[in-house]
Parts: sequence; C-alpha cells; structure tokens
Amino acid sequence: MLTFKVLAALLDYPGSATIAALPEMRAILAGEGKLDGLAVDRLFAFMYKLEQGDLLDQQAAWVDLFDRTRSLSLHLFEHVHGDSRDRGQAMVDLAALYADRGLTIDASELPDYLPLFLEFLSLIPESEARQLLGETVHVVEALAERLAGRGSDHAILLSALASLAEAPAPAQPLATPDTDGDLDAAWQEEEIRFAAGAMPSACGAAGTGT
Amino acid sequence: MSHFIDRLLFFKRNVETFSGDHGVVTNESRRWEDGYRKRWQHDKVVRSTHGVNCTGSCSWKIYVKGGIVTWETQQTDYPRTRPDLPNHEPRGCPRGASYSWYIYSGSRVKYPLVRGALLRLWREARASMRPVEAWASITADPAKAKAYKSIRGLGGFVRASWDEVNEIVAAANVHTIKTYGPDRIMGFSPIPAMSMVSYAAGARYLSLIGGVCLSFYDWYCDLPPASPQIWGEQTDVPESADWYNSNFLILWGSNVPQTRTPDAHFYSEVRYKGAKSVVITPDYSEAAKFSDLWLAPKQGTDSALAMALGHVILKEFHLGQSKSAYFEDYCRRYSDMPLLVRLARRGDHYVPERFVRASDFSGHLGQANNPEWKAVGIDEASGDVALPNGSVGFRWGEKGKWNIEQKDARSGAEIRLRLSLIDHRDAVVGVAFPYFGGIEHEYFANNPHPEVLVRNLPARKLVLADGEALVVTVFDLLAANYGVDRGLGGANVASSFDQDVPYTPAWQEKITGVKAADVITVARQFAENADRTQGRSMVIIGAGMNHWYHMDMNYRAIINMLVMCGCIGKSGGGWAHYVGQEKLRPQSGWVPFTFALDWIRPSRQMNGTSFFYAHTGQWRHEKLAVREILSPLADPEEFKGSLIDFNVMAERMGWLPSAPQLEVNPLELVRQARAAGKDPKDYAVEALKSGQLRMSCEDPDDPRNFPRNMFVWRSNLLGSSGKGHEYFLKYLLGTQNGVMNDDLAAGGGDKPLEVAWHERAPEGKLDLLVTLDFRMSSTCLYSDIVLPTATWYEKNDLNTSDMHPFIHPFSRAVDPAWEARSDWDIYKGFAAKLSELSEGHLGVEGDLVLTPIMHDTPGELAQALEVKDWKKGEIEAVPGRTMPVMTVVERDYPNTYRRFTALGPLMSRLGNGGKGLSWNTEDEVRALGELNRLVEEDGPTKGLPRIDTDIDAAETILMLAPETNGHVAVKAWEALSGFTGREHAHLALHREDEKIRFRDIQAQPRKIISSPIWSGLESEKVSYNACYTNVHELIPWRTLTGRQQFYQDHKWMRGFGEALCVYRPPIDTKTIKPIIDAKANGDPQLVLNWITPHQKWGIHSTYTDNLLMLTLSRGGPIVWIAEKDAAKAGIEDNDWIEVYNANGAIAARAVVSQRVKEGMCMMYHAQEKTVNTPGAETTGLRGGIHNSVTRICPKPTHMIGGYAQLSYGFNYYGTVGANRDDFVVLRKMRKVEWLEAERAAEEV
Repeated sequence: MLTFKVLAALLDYPGSATIAALPEMRAILAGEGKLDGLAVDRLFAFMYKLEQGDLLDQQAAWVDLFDRTRSLSLHLFEHVHGDSRDRGQAMVDLAALYADRGLTIDASELPDYLPLFLEFLSLIPESEARQLLGETVHVVEALAERLAGRGSDHAILLSALASLAEAPAPAQPLATPDTDGDLDAAWQEEEIRFAAGAMPSACGAAGTGT
Repeated sequence: MSHFIDRLLFFKRNVETFSGDHGVVTNESRRWEDGYRKRWQHDKVVRSTHGVNCTGSCSWKIYVKGGIVTWETQQTDYPRTRPDLPNHEPRGCPRGASYSWYIYSGSRVKYPLVRGALLRLWREARASMRPVEAWASITADPAKAKAYKSIRGLGGFVRASWDEVNEIVAAANVHTIKTYGPDRIMGFSPIPAMSMVSYAAGARYLSLIGGVCLSFYDWYCDLPPASPQIWGEQTDVPESADWYNSNFLILWGSNVPQTRTPDAHFYSEVRYKGAKSVVITPDYSEAAKFSDLWLAPKQGTDSALAMALGHVILKEFHLGQSKSAYFEDYCRRYSDMPLLVRLARRGDHYVPERFVRASDFSGHLGQANNPEWKAVGIDEASGDVALPNGSVGFRWGEKGKWNIEQKDARSGAEIRLRLSLIDHRDAVVGVAFPYFGGIEHEYFANNPHPEVLVRNLPARKLVLADGEALVVTVFDLLAANYGVDRGLGGANVASSFDQDVPYTPAWQEKITGVKAADVITVARQFAENADRTQGRSMVIIGAGMNHWYHMDMNYRAIINMLVMCGCIGKSGGGWAHYVGQEKLRPQSGWVPFTFALDWIRPSRQMNGTSFFYAHTGQWRHEKLAVREILSPLADPEEFKGSLIDFNVMAERMGWLPSAPQLEVNPLELVRQARAAGKDPKDYAVEALKSGQLRMSCEDPDDPRNFPRNMFVWRSNLLGSSGKGHEYFLKYLLGTQNGVMNDDLAAGGGDKPLEVAWHERAPEGKLDLLVTLDFRMSSTCLYSDIVLPTATWYEKNDLNTSDMHPFIHPFSRAVDPAWEARSDWDIYKGFAAKLSELSEGHLGVEGDLVLTPIMHDTPGELAQALEVKDWKKGEIEAVPGRTMPVMTVVERDYPNTYRRFTALGPLMSRLGNGGKGLSWNTEDEVRALGELNRLVEEDGPTKGLPRIDTDIDAAETILMLAPETNGHVAVKAWEALSGFTGREHAHLALHREDEKIRFRDIQAQPRKIISSPIWSGLESEKVSYNACYTNVHELIPWRTLTGRQQFYQDHKWMRGFGEALCVYRPPIDTKTIKPIIDAKANGDPQLVLNWITPHQKWGIHSTYTDNLLMLTLSRGGPIVWIAEKDAAKAGIEDNDWIEVYNANGAIAARAVVSQRVKEGMCMMYHAQEKTVNTPGAETTGLRGGIHNSVTRICPKPTHMIGGYAQLSYGFNYYGTVGANRDDFVVLRKMRKVEWLEAERAAEEV
C-alpha cells in the first residue's frame, strides 16, 4: 500500500526531493483511496503548505520538533522502551524482521525510525501491514495528540496513519512522558507496596496442606 | 489382579507435591528463559572506555548484536597487581554503565546542523560567489552578521551535508587566515589523555594552518599553580593503588567515593589494613562517612587550618621534643630549607628578598656558566658558603652537574648543608612578614593582627660583590613565618598552641571554626606516622580547594606539610590531586604528532584563562583592584594598573603566550618585511619598539584583534567550563544574555593603563563557532555549526589516566550512527577542503609565530634578578629573553591535507623529546613506516609514513613514546644521564624490547614503561608515586634551586605577599550589593557562597543529561542548601528557587539538607541548560548554568614567566579561572515559567 510510503515521505525531514514528488503523492493518495476524504483534504493542505512555505524554515521547525524534543521522537522504541536496555534487542529484532523480507537498511537510520518502518509497511501485503501497524499504533496516536497540542500540522499525518491500523494492541503508557504538563507528576514513581495477596498462589496453596 | 500393566517400567508420573506438600511441581512454560538467553547473546564483545574527561579510564566490554550496541559491562581482565596489593578491578561506575544510552538517545546529534539563518545567507551568497568570497560577503556585512549571531542559542538548526559544512568551515578559515591571520582561528578541547587521537585531530589541523590551541587545565581552575611553583612539575601524582601503601590518609576537599568511584576501593581496603583516615570538608560529604575524624572548616579557609597543622609539625617534629631525624635529613637533601636568602633593609627592620646566587659573590664562585641561576647554602663542616649541585643554572649550558647529590659543584666534595643559622648567627634581626588574616570580609571571620608582622630571625653576614649583606636560611624564615618561637625574643611568635598568634591552632580556630585540639591531634598523628614509616602519610586533595582565588595558599600550605614530613616521592605518601589534567602517559609520542611538530616548529598555543578573560569582555567588568591583593610590604608604585595590565605586561615580556598575537596579520608582516629586505623578526621587533606595531592584547576590542573562528570539540565549553557564561554570550557570541552589571565605562572605576578602552564594547566577536559533539550540549545550542561525532563506542583511540598505569583503547564497536564521523575523520575533511579552497588565496606562506619563554628550555633563564619591561625602556627588547620568542615558519596551505595524513620529515631531521630532553628517533620513524606503510602518491609527502586512519594515528603515538616503546625509553633515560651525570637507563633496560601496539591494548590493558618524562616509576616493586625518581635517583626538581621550594623569590611573588605561604581570605567579588535591592521581590533573600563540586549523577563520563542517571536524582538543575538557611527563607525541599548575582541568574530546585554548611550552597558542576530548566525571574530568560553567576579574576603571580619553574608551559602554568569566591542571592521562585512561547525555538 503506497499510502504508507507517502506518509513516510511527508513525515521524514523535508527536502526538495520530497517537494518535487508531491504531485505523485497526491495521485497515489487519491488513487488508492485508503484514507477518508477529510484526511486526504488535510494531507493536501499539508502538502500545499510544504510546497509554498520556505523550505529552510520548515526544516528548522522539523529539527526543533522531532530531533530536539524527546517526547516527539520519531523513533518508536524511544517511546516503547525508553532508556531500557531492551531497546537494543528490540531494534535487533526489528532489523531481523526486515531481513526476513529481503530488505536491508540502506540509510543512516535506526530500524525503529517511523518513516523507515512505514516504507517497510508499503512493501508488504496490506493486511499484514495494517496488523503490524496495529502493534504500535498507540505510539502513533500519542504522537498525533502531542503534535496537535502544540499546534503542529504534522499531527494530521499521524492521525491519518493511525486510521490505517487494524487490531490495535492495547495502549501502553509511553516511556517518554510529555513534560509540558506537570513535571513532578511525570517523574513521580509508584510507591511499592508489599501486599499479602501478592504471594504466588501455588505456594500459598501448598502451604495450606491438603 | 496383576499390577504389572499399571506399573510403569520406564517412566514415573509427575509428582504434584512433595516434602509433605510443602513443595509443588508446576509445569508453566519456560519460554521466558529465552528472553534472558537472548539478552546475553551477541555477535561480538569489543573493549572500549569513556572519555572526555573522567579520570576512570575503566575497561568496558561493549556488546554488539546486529550492528547495534546493546549494552556494556565492566571488563575484568586487568593485569594483576603484586601479591601484597589488591587488584584494580572491577573498575567502572553507574555513569559508565549507562553510557550506551547516548548512542541512540534523543539527545544524539545525528546530522551536520547549521543555523538556518546562516545557511540561508550562505546559499544566497554561494549562488553567485565562490566559497571564500561568499564567506567574506556575509561577515563583512554588519546586518547579515548580526542576523545570525544575535540568534545564537535560539534554535533554528537545519541539516546540511558534510560537503556543504566542510565548505563553509574551510571557506571561513581561508578567509580568516588571509584577512586577519591564522592566529585568529582558535580551538578548545580539553583533557587529551582521555581520547588522545580525537584531541590530536583538531590540534593537528589547527597547528598545520597556524591556528591556536587553547589550554584547558588552567581555565578549568583544576591546574594547581602551586605544583609548578614548588616542584617545576604539573600534577604528577600517585596512582590510586598507592593509597593502599599509605598508613595515614587525609582526604582534603576530595570526595573519593563519589567522584573517584572506580578507585575508591583502594581507600576502603587500606582502612581494613589499619590506615587512619581524616576527612576535611566543609560539608558532610560521602567521603566524610569514611573518616575516623571529620574536620569541617569554614569553606575557603583551608590554608588557615593547614598553616596551623604546619605550625605544630614544625614546632614539635623539627624543633621540639619529637624532633625527627628523618624529616631533617629529608628536608636538607630535597628541599630549599638550607638555602640562603638575602635580607633587604626596610626602615628599622628587614624584608626577605631573593635567593643568594653565585653571581652575588665576587668571582661568581668560579662559575662562568649561569652564575645568577645557582643558589647557595652553608656547609656545616666548614661553615663556609657551599654551592650545591642541582640549581637550574647547572641544567643548561653545562653537563653532568644537574643532580641533587650532596656535593659542592666546584670541588665535588661531599657537603652537608646547614638548615638553621640559629647556633651560628652573626645577628638577630627583625624581619617583616605580610599578614592578610585581618582583612575584613562580610561573610568570612577574620582574626585581627597587624598587617605586617615583624619576627626575630637569626642572620649571618656575608661579604658579597656589592658589599656586606645579611642572609638567612629558608628554614629559619619558614619557622618564623609559621610563628614558632625560637627563643630569639620579639613579637608575633607563639610558645604555646593556645596563644592567638598567626599561625597557631588557637589562631586558626577563629577563622575556620575547627577546634584547636583537633588540629594538634591530626598534626601529631600525621607527622608521627610519617616519621615512623619514612613518609607514608598522604593527602588526597580535591580540586575545589584549588578553585578559590588564593588557591596557591591552600595547596602550598598542604604541600608544605608533606615536604616537612618527608612524604613527597615516598611510596604511600605525598600529594594526590586527581582533577582535570589526567596523565597523558605517552606524552612525548603524542605531542609532536598532535601539534604537527613533524612539519612545523613551534606550534601556536594560548592559555585559556587569559584568552577568555580578554575576549569575553570579563576584564571590562573587573571589580577587583590590584591594591586589594598586594602585599602590605610592596611598593604600590611598582605594581600599578589593573589585572589585565599585568597580563599584557606578561604577554609582551614573553612570560605568557599571546594570541591573537599582533594587530597585523603575521603572514602580511612577513611579506612586508621581506619586501623591505629585512628579517621579519627584526622587522617586528623594531616596529614594536617604535610603537608602530602593537600586540593584540593591548586592544582586544579592536576588530583587527578579534578571534574570528573557533572550534570546540570533546568539550562542553559553554555548558560546563565557561566561567562568566553570560559574558561569553554577550561579548564573544553577541546573543541574548543575563549580564546584570555595568562595565567600567558606565559603572565608573579605574580603566586599565595598558589596554585601549572602547566606550562601546563589541558584541559577537566570533564569526563562526563550530562544535563537534555526539549529544546536543549547551555549547551546541549556541554554535553556528554542530557536527555529529562518533561516540566512545564508535571510534578508535587511546586513553590513559593518572589513577592507574595502564593504557587503554577506545574501539569502534559499531560504525558511527546516523551521519556521525570520528573527530579524526571530521578534521581530515576540513583539511581536504581547506587545501582545495586555498588555491588562489593562500599558497606557501611565511608566518611569524610568537611563543612565550618556555619551561624546560634554556630560555627559562630569562631575567634572573629583576623584572624589566622593554616597553618602558628599562631593558633592550630581545626576543626569547625580554619578549616573546619569534620564529618564521613556512606553511603550505594547499598541502594541508597531505601533511595531515603523513608523518613529516622533522622527526628524522630534528628528533623527538620532552621535558627538556631530546633524542634521535630515526629508528622509530622507519619502523612506523613499515607498520603504517609509506605514502605512495607523488607529492611532498611521498615516502613518509602514512597516518590515514585513527589506528594509524594511535600507532604513531605508541611508536614514538618512551612509555610505550622500550627502545625509546632507554634513549630518553640516557638523554637524562647527560644532564645529571648519573646512570638511569637501568630503569627501562628490562623492558627495552617491548613495543605496545594498538591491538595489544585491545587484547588487554597494558602497563606503561618507566620514562624520565614522569617522576615516578612503573615497576613490579613500587606503585607509581610522583617525585619518586627525584628522591631515589637524585634527579633535581625542575625548579630554580633543583629542590622542592618553600620559598618563591620572584619579585612579583614577593610583591603579592606569597614568597612564603600565608593565609589569605577569599576576595570580595562585589556581585551582591549592586543588585540585591534592585532585584528584590519582597520574599526573603539569602546571600550564600557559591560552591560547584563534582556530582554523582553526571560527572564527565556521562554529562548531566543522561536520563538514566537523572532518574536517580531530581531530574533537572538542583542547588543544595542548609536546613537552617532554608528555614530563614521559607524554602522547602524541592521548591523552585532562583539564584542570581550581578553576573547572571539560574533557575533550579532546592535540595534542603543537613549535609550542607550554613552560609554556602552547592550546585553540582555542569548541569545542562538543556534539561528541565525554566525561566529566571530576574533576567526573564531561561535560567543559566552554574557559571552564569561567575566571573573570573586572574591573579598576577600566575603570569610570571621566564623564571625557571615559573615559566610558561601549556597546561603547566598560567592564569587560572577561579570561581569559588563568588556569592549569590538565593530565594524562592514565585512563579515557574517554562517560557513555552520560546520553546519551539529554544528547545528544552
């Protein structure tokens, strides 16, 4: 499904090559018809702004948003695994998934970079792509919400993307709290309680004797 | 019924319970174990470490899977130590264990970035112009220049390609060299030991093009000037394993468990062995918990405490009931105690003047060579004047007598120098000593006594060439200075410790608050242990002690104790200062490569502190008058001017370096001179003398003298070490800043005498600031170009530490992520582009290089007896003697890249060396050619050894250095034998055939080979300890007298009251009164001393933006305050507070703790502005960093040069950036403002 590819290109750092390809992208979106009309209208408006606006300004805005704001990172595992050591293994697993489909990363990017992942989705069967997207759509939705909160046009790219997911996995709290709100709340840790009911039941059962 | 069918033959059924139902068998899936197994699977494990600039140098295993770094763990394969010594490992700490976070974190710099406003101007200009012209057009247009300079720090970065950024940088460099001179291109990078090749990359590039490397150790203020003053050596210290050899450890201001985590185990272990430990810190630090006795002096008064300890030691162990034969013998041999000092008449008393020299006698004691640089004593047996070996005068111009054998240099006869003249005196005379302890300070207790203390001394009359003179020994001066009663009558001496006389235990109690009884106890135990163990008492000193304006007094007072007790150069004893410099063990292999001495000698270097003081405009706000720090015994007429005037004098007399150097482009000056048919040096000297030509330092605000381009790499200059941060922003960068005080123009105040004053100060001197980093540091935020570098797991490099004797690799575990490149590759890229762009602008050019008179060269014997300034017509202007050394060098700009990547011909032609030694190194050059291969391409480098890769660079260092090449070590020791007349090669012969290669250290850390570049030994018998070879091989200290010097006789030392160590209270920086009322908001305000120690959650190896580490603390900037102070201002723990003074403002949270002493507050060093920092109410801008409230004041005694050990050396001596004397106003913040509007532009 090439709509994924279009979203990948629009979400990536903007460049003159992207702008040159906008007519092609419009044709794909219209032709594939995978997104609802309102979403397509909004995407066309996004593209129009991209075309008309000053490229350097838009690039600077992109760097400030996505390179410099951790809570808006386009690296999926930043939000899933955060600073955990699981992140390295998760990237290895994701790269292995790409390799299974005969794809090797040929850009200076990590496997969990969202536009890269979207290009991958565009290359595999649609139903599988929608399912894979479903596994991570809670990150996409959270990003859409955060971007909308900042008044960024990029929010519409992510909400359009979210609409393509199937069988969404249950939402997990992100590892990247949006500290725009209450910093203290974001950093607050759950108090650990050792309740009686937390004992493993098997031992409890054995302990009672039968 | 048969049970056979039911009975199982081969199986048994799973039991469900066992042990009387207490055990249960379950059958859940064990697939979870796969997760664990997978976690420990990896494709490879690579050895690397962390730098800049943690001293740890710890070996780590980096696990790589699928080309991705997954985690790191501590490596545990260090070579074992001796049987009686614990092993080094495990080394490492939580900072290192969380480092891999940075590689893929959101804070990583991923692509070359340029501020959009600049890139727009560049692309517009480039559309119609070639690169150099394009850069010229932007910087020449004030509106365009302001357009990008004034928004530095406000975001707006866009990505650019490597080709494009290389072109901008090279064009800027070419334009700057051509228009203003290569000495307008500066580079700042610290602590080369922690990644030598990466440091070398930038320094080699700069040195080839004539740019300037700025020193860092002095600028950080971790450089203790006391070390060169006393020893002629900078920061040579025991390795941490030697703590285990100690029997009495004082931790003074050092917080070993917190800041030296990998080494702290030796400290724990030796306590189990029975060593006693005293910890001296104003706060209840982590180290304090280890102590048998904790002393908590008022912060900044440590020298008063140390002087009192010295008083007890002198009185009891040198003069009294516990007199130590060991101490006496040690001091006689190894210190200046027995040497003679002239007295000068001053009214009805005398003042100590300079050391008596051989030249003072008619006939010069038979010395034709350097008689004015040879000190004398009295031989006990004959009672005659003796001329001991070892003075610096023997080092240069003659051979074989530069040693500290107890011999008379004239006859070779054994001598025994007399320590005191008390039993052989001709007179008892009153000698005046300065006293500063009575100075009143609003926040420090004083102890009033007269500012001049006259004490009686035994003196002897000598007939000198200029008549009869009274002389005294340093020992007698010292005893008097410490206020010990010798029974000679007179005032200002104490016969009891309870008398309030400087410097008794009772006297210090009023200043430090430490009980006199504790002082007496510690002094006695420290000295008694040293006496019984022959010197195994040690002081581990924290560099915070060195950050006070009068740091030399803190350090000298402590070192005096150690020398008095014979602890220096002894296993388990001595002075252990572990901050900031770190030992670059293969130094003399690294220096020629790094500073491109294989192509061009000398290179340009500049002392960081004086440079930043001048060019960040901090001098324009100077509030400290010279008269405030002058000795009451000095003639103020002889010391006129302001602090920067003294620096200018030092620069023009060749004492300190000077860059930018002259107001004329040095390439142009050479052209002019040659056109006029003159030698460029003569031409420059004439022009300087006539006043036609001025040095740049005389007018730092003239655009001709601006630094124009600056590179920062391996450093967070603006987020960490930029003392006077807000002045950097205002003057050097020209962007928004929080400076809240007037300069001398508006504020009134004495203008400098030697420096031109511009009513309107320039803002934005720098045209281009380029920072190389792997993370978006505070410095990156302010840079014009930010370049992504390889992390410590993505490049090959070398690393050594002073904490242990091993040399370590960095290894490229994975390729640099995103577009990152190693520092080596980045500078190679600049070199290639500059070579290309210089066509048509720069060719082979003559460049007049000014260098200061350097330590460890014959030039260090410049002005022996007087200070004379050629500019005032007091003496002839002679380069290298009364003014800077001048050298014309040839630069070949179009061949910069070729030169960068090949080892130049000067190594074979001129040899190599270090610390005054030199040796032939043709064999090593040949061997390196065989190892690295030779350049095959035609051109000027054909046939020379190649240095293409970072590994080639590492091999170059390892091959040339005595510490990693046994053959070179033997040559170096033999070279030293030529000076000393003693055989030393035995120290390396047993390892002569050893050559440590890069792959060797990747296999296992390797112990380095002993070399004369360092004063300690690496052997199976002793742990490394500084000055060990001075004591055991009788190699002189590299001082005027060849001995450890209690007495500093330079005129400026005497003028500023520091000929002998004294107590000096902190200075008044005057940053509170002008602002406290104006900025008041009605809430209670505290005035607190500003202390910035090193922390637990973000020391250098992981900066304070690693979220893993921040999660363990408060997650953002914090300031620690005392409970009592917090109560006064209604502050509760975790409240947001504002900290400000005239220099700027900070927003942070309060940590309220009993740990902190009332009257001070602590903000841990280098908390990034990039993490969770709100706005400050006073400035309306985002809160600053810990240096936003500081401004440096340089000290004239650090500017002295051309005088034996007081001669300049890069990161050896010079002005330092003291910052502890500052006070701040602290109050609760009413409203936390996150400056959301700016957020998009200035990222948090």
